[in-house]
Amino acid sequence: MSTGRAAAGGASPPPHAPDFEVLPREGGIIAACFVAMASPCELLLEIADADAAREIGRLAAQEAWRIETKFSRYRPDSIVSVINRSQGDEVVVDGETAALLDYAVHCQALSQGRFDITSGVLRRCWTFDGSDRLPEPAAIAALLPLIGFEKVRWESPRITLPAGMEIDFGGIGKEYAVDRVLALVTARFTGAALVNFGGDLAANRAPGAGPWQVGVERPDTDREARLLLELSRGGLATSGDTHRFLLRDGVRYGHILDRRSGWPVRDTPRSVTVAAASCVEAGMLATFAMLQGGSAESFLEEQGVRYWCLR
Amino acid sequence: MQLKRPASPLHLGLIAASCTLLSGTARAQTADDTAEQPLQIDADLLYYKENAGRVQTIEPVVNLKKDFGDQRLLDGTLTLDTLSGATPNGAIPARTPQTFASPSSTSLTPKPGYKTTLYTIAPGNLPQDPHFKESRIAGDLDWSQPIGLDNTLSYGGHASTEHDFYSVAAHAGLSHDFNEKNTTLSAGVNEEYDRIHAHGGNPVPASNYALYEKESSQTKNVAGGLIGVTQVMRGNWLTELNYTFDHSQGYLTDPYRIISVVDDTGAVTGYRYENRPDTRTRQSLYLVNKVALGPTVLDLSYRRSKDSWGIGSDTVDAKLRIDLGSGMYFEPHARWYHQSAADFYNLYLTDTSPAPAYMSADPRLATFAATTFGFKFGIATSRHGELSLRLEQYQQRPSDQSSSLPELQGLDLNPNLKATIVQLSWHLEY
Amino acid sequence: MRIRSFARLTILLGLLPTMCGCGAMGVKPWQREILARPEMALNAEPIDSAIDAHIYFSKEAASGGRSFGGGGCGCN
Repeated sequence: MSTGRAAAGGASPPPHAPDFEVLPREGGIIAACFVAMASPCELLLEIADADAAREIGRLAAQEAWRIETKFSRYRPDSIVSVINRSQGDEVVVDGETAALLDYAVHCQALSQGRFDITSGVLRRCWTFDGSDRLPEPAAIAALLPLIGFEKVRWESPRITLPAGMEIDFGGIGKEYAVDRVLALVTARFTGAALVNFGGDLAANRAPGAGPWQVGVERPDTDREARLLLELSRGGLATSGDTHRFLLRDGVRYGHILDRRSGWPVRDTPRSVTVAAASCVEAGMLATFAMLQGGSAESFLEEQGVRYWCLR
Repeated sequence: MQLKRPASPLHLGLIAASCTLLSGTARAQTADDTAEQPLQIDADLLYYKENAGRVQTIEPVVNLKKDFGDQRLLDGTLTLDTLSGATPNGAIPARTPQTFASPSSTSLTPKPGYKTTLYTIAPGNLPQDPHFKESRIAGDLDWSQPIGLDNTLSYGGHASTEHDFYSVAAHAGLSHDFNEKNTTLSAGVNEEYDRIHAHGGNPVPASNYALYEKESSQTKNVAGGLIGVTQVMRGNWLTELNYTFDHSQGYLTDPYRIISVVDDTGAVTGYRYENRPDTRTRQSLYLVNKVALGPTVLDLSYRRSKDSWGIGSDTVDAKLRIDLGSGMYFEPHARWYHQSAADFYNLYLTDTSPAPAYMSADPRLATFAATTFGFKFGIATSRHGELSLRLEQYQQRPSDQSSSLPELQGLDLNPNLKATIVQLSWHLEY
Repeated sequence: MRIRSFARLTILLGLLPTMCGCGAMGVKPWQREILARPEMALNAEPIDSAIDAHIYFSKEAASGGRSFGGGGCGCN
């Protein structure tokens, strides 16, 4: 059984779209499918009662939509947008946001500054459309002063973001939603469950028939590179280059940017998939590995985790 | 697929951070089960008993804590205290029988219109008033609330009443968190006002007991201040340092306490009422460390205090809360205390030298060491309830207990004190 | 003598933060799991503390320290 649908979800439907359906799958599994965070999402439950599956699936979808509404940088009413619009004023955040910010600070420290939730401003000059249009070095240099969480005054629950800077929970938010939804489902349902949001997934335990069979789609590669994995419990996340790169003079510029130079990290793998105890942990390890560029594999080797690297 | 290796320090750090992020959400889902309940009730019963038929007390305590949300907390305590048993009156044992009047007496000798209750102490025994009985009711009410995000304001009051003593007090404190809530600075002030109207009237301090001079009620007040700093040292270690200062003024003498006057052979020739200075300033430094060693928690504190009466003291207190699993814990406790005597403390006065301005034979002002050993055992009765039992033994050993004067030789002038403390506690949350 | 020993203690306590190294003190919010346990509160057993303070106030010359000096009792 394959859980992954095409990971590149195409157009992003509105998050509260009534795009929610419950479908039986083979092996006594019922799937609740919906769209959230610009990704096809599914919740697989080892359950016989379709009505119960629908009810649990609704809860899962509502939770995913709640997290998207709250943390999406594209939504003007999200807390992230409020912080980004604050123009240097102090913003007081709720406990959940504070926990995510704390996590981001911790990840920044663990990655020795490579991972930073303020590096999104580089998108203003980098557009990874497959062309050869590299930005002007001066334009990049002008953005560097706006990057670095150490410039942000963060004393939970108060955050003061200097004007011009931006934060986003890319690399954290979707993975967090996966773990959060799995915890929510597990609190109400004792059977086996798997949450898959566009290829970032987590399971609470294996169904009676054996481990979950997970197909990890790696677009931008041929079908042979598609990973077929077994997962009993824990999280699995993939960080990939996908279609997002620039090509100039035979040099490939991937979309993973080194926030210290403002330029893409050299020699990143096309795709890194990591298995860990939770989806947030797997996702962050995959992101860290991408930021290591050429030494991604040796980095992952040191961490003592299961991983799959594609170059 | 690669072979698994032990997790790296980076990975361990990430595991910890991820667990914290996700456990927060786990808590959010099970908020009904684990969050502190808005109403907490504590009911305690204390039984305190001293050896050799001395004082015993039964003290029920009821405490209510109501959480009004946003960390606004009301905390009220009601205490009833019934004291009975023999109480040393300050005089020393003698070779001859000694007769005293209970304090409620208005005359030493029976006469019309006056009340006289006498008690006689056999030779060699410590003079104690056998009729001592007192009950006390005390109430405390405290309110605390945050001011802004980093400050907490608290204020409250206390009132207690006994037949011979009435006390009211008020206090207010402010604490400020900073350094990512790793450091807290606290400051507080306290003011207490007491009225003392002893049974049978307040004796005239330092007067001859035989004259039995009494006067009207007296007052005292105590003003105090506290500054403290609390610091998170490590993820499992918390420390606090407090400095407290207070100044007492007014009637600081114990109205029931007398002191023996002896001649140069040690034979008792009379008694005087004690007399203490009418001011006293006290300072103390208190350091406490709280350290979690796995599921076990160590509470270790040290206090140094001194006052203007010349009393200095050291206290070391250690508690180790050992988690036994299944909602049970065992907590051994040890405490060591030592104090030096007040400048005006004496076991007795001699009639060969003039009486000093201040005098007291109160054993609580003597040089002594004290120890407490005990334990507490607690068991969870439900998710929101706990029952616990505390058993302790307290012992005081004064350093001056004898005299070389011929009449006093072989007499224990300030005997050891032993007390047993039993406390039954019941905690419930709604 | 008494005054001197008090001063000595003050100096000792003053040195304590220096010895620990200010840079190493404190934790991040996500490292507070142990500190958040109820038994790690500085006054985890307030009723026991109040009862003890009352007993020792009535039997010893020194009192307080943890908070104010206690009182409200004719027993001392």
